[in-house]
Amino acid sequence: MLKIENLVTEYGAVRALDGISFTAAEGKITTVIGANGAGKSTLLRTISGLERAKSGQITWADKSLIGKTPESIVRSGIAHVPEGHAVISQLTVAENIEMGALFRRRKNRSDVKLAIEEAYALFPRLAERNKQLAGTLSGGERQMLAISRALVSRPKLLLLDEPSLGLAPLVVEQIIQTVDDLCRKSGLTVLLVEQNANTALAVADYGVLLSLGKVVANLPAAELKADASLRAAYLGY
Amino acid sequence: MDQFLSAVFAGTSRGAIYALVALGLVLVWRGAGVINFAQMGQAMFSTYVASTMIMNEYSYWIAFFVALIVGTILGAVVDLLVMRPLSGKRSSAMLASPAMRGTIPVIASLGIVGILQAAAGMIWAAEERGFPTPVNSLGLTIGGNVMPFTAFDLFVIGIVMVVLLITTIFFQKTGMGLAMRASALNPEVARLSGIRTSSVRTLSWAISGAASSLAGLLVTPSANLSPNTLDLILIIGFTATVIGGLDSLPGGVIGGFILGLVISFVNVYRSPSDIFLAILVLLLIVLLVRPQGLLGSKEVRRV
Repeated sequence: MLKIENLVTEYGAVRALDGISFTAAEGKITTVIGANGAGKSTLLRTISGLERAKSGQITWADKSLIGKTPESIVRSGIAHVPEGHAVISQLTVAENIEMGALFRRRKNRSDVKLAIEEAYALFPRLAERNKQLAGTLSGGERQMLAISRALVSRPKLLLLDEPSLGLAPLVVEQIIQTVDDLCRKSGLTVLLVEQNANTALAVADYGVLLSLGKVVANLPAAELKADASLRAAYLGY
Repeated sequence: MDQFLSAVFAGTSRGAIYALVALGLVLVWRGAGVINFAQMGQAMFSTYVASTMIMNEYSYWIAFFVALIVGTILGAVVDLLVMRPLSGKRSSAMLASPAMRGTIPVIASLGIVGILQAAAGMIWAAEERGFPTPVNSLGLTIGGNVMPFTAFDLFVIGIVMVVLLITTIFFQKTGMGLAMRASALNPEVARLSGIRTSSVRTLSWAISGAASSLAGLLVTPSANLSPNTLDLILIIGFTATVIGGLDSLPGGVIGGFILGLVISFVNVYRSPSDIFLAILVLLLIVLLVRPQGLLGSKEVRRV
């Protein structure tokens, strides 16, 4: 279980997260939705150690993540797929995937091999293009690659930042479906940040609505989806 | 014909040394975003260590390997003691600005040259000393004919080829090489993948230190050793990286060989006094026609 208590993160004078508390249940999809600038990406970046928390607590599997570096947080089973199809375009598809498992290749050589095969099975298009440079892929393929890079680290918790950004609806559907399957079949815990609330709430178990760095609602996804007043006030539709 | 061949061989062997210097510079530039002006100062220091060992009757080869180890350690120490603390959090907003972040390490590297040169002068005195070669550096004679190259030329070319081959295999085929490329290209994604980018950075400095100490050992026999003899080699090596593309390892290596050949041909067919003019003209042409360098990427970065 991921537990966040009174989390505050600042960029200079700007308070991006203003005392956030919620928990993400194991084996479930929790989606964090909200308008631009609500603090969604900052939340994920603080959990994965890219940003330093000003105060508050983040607990994962009964251990605090505060003050840890991103490279050690990955080792505790948390993989972050940042915004914008974060792959390294000058490396090949195979190298991008291999990169995600470098830190554990010595101890688990056979499992790393298996995890890479599983990623290719999940996204066969990546297998066809594994020798191409990542920069030559389409947006959807790049997102698949970024997710594969995260999955080969064998995470228990996957932090996904706007996987739908700039992608065609059909591709979004495929990616979200894959994440949903992973969660249901292998018990992966997912924290899904989305601006596209409809897509996210359709697959999520729980929904956390952020506005200006604060949690304004934390409900089962179906209830959040049904609440017309919240939607109108914070999501604008 | 003999004159032409001897220019080719001398140029290739010189170019091989410049390629090593360029390799060291590009490694640190890509790995840490710093132009390390202290690089040949470090090499001067390790060459002095070798020279002192040889004067104390150790064999050339023991001194050679000790110098490489000293160069490697010196590279890592520069990162750990100077560069890493400098990249930490800064209290003043002015010092934390991107422009200053890029400048401070470069200024620091100039400071390191000063310290190393002063220290070398204090330890070994500032008078010049010679430095031996492991093989004959006079024209090679085969079957009574004097060849247009020396055994030392062949030695230099051979050893640099081996180094370049090992470097290529390391970067393209090993996990650590992949980690170094990933950290240089996108540190954030690399860290999220679990790569310890600060250790990788120290490794870049160490490998760069090894390459430049090798360059120091190979180039010093043709000049004498004094605390600032290697300054000129740094300038030529830096020019080679700009010609080849600052962010490309193969580019830097190719730039080194091109410069070596140009210098050698000007030396043979014109006069040694025209060498700098030729380098500047070549640099100017490359900067005008292809400012990012022969193999550099288009994204322009200011130093």
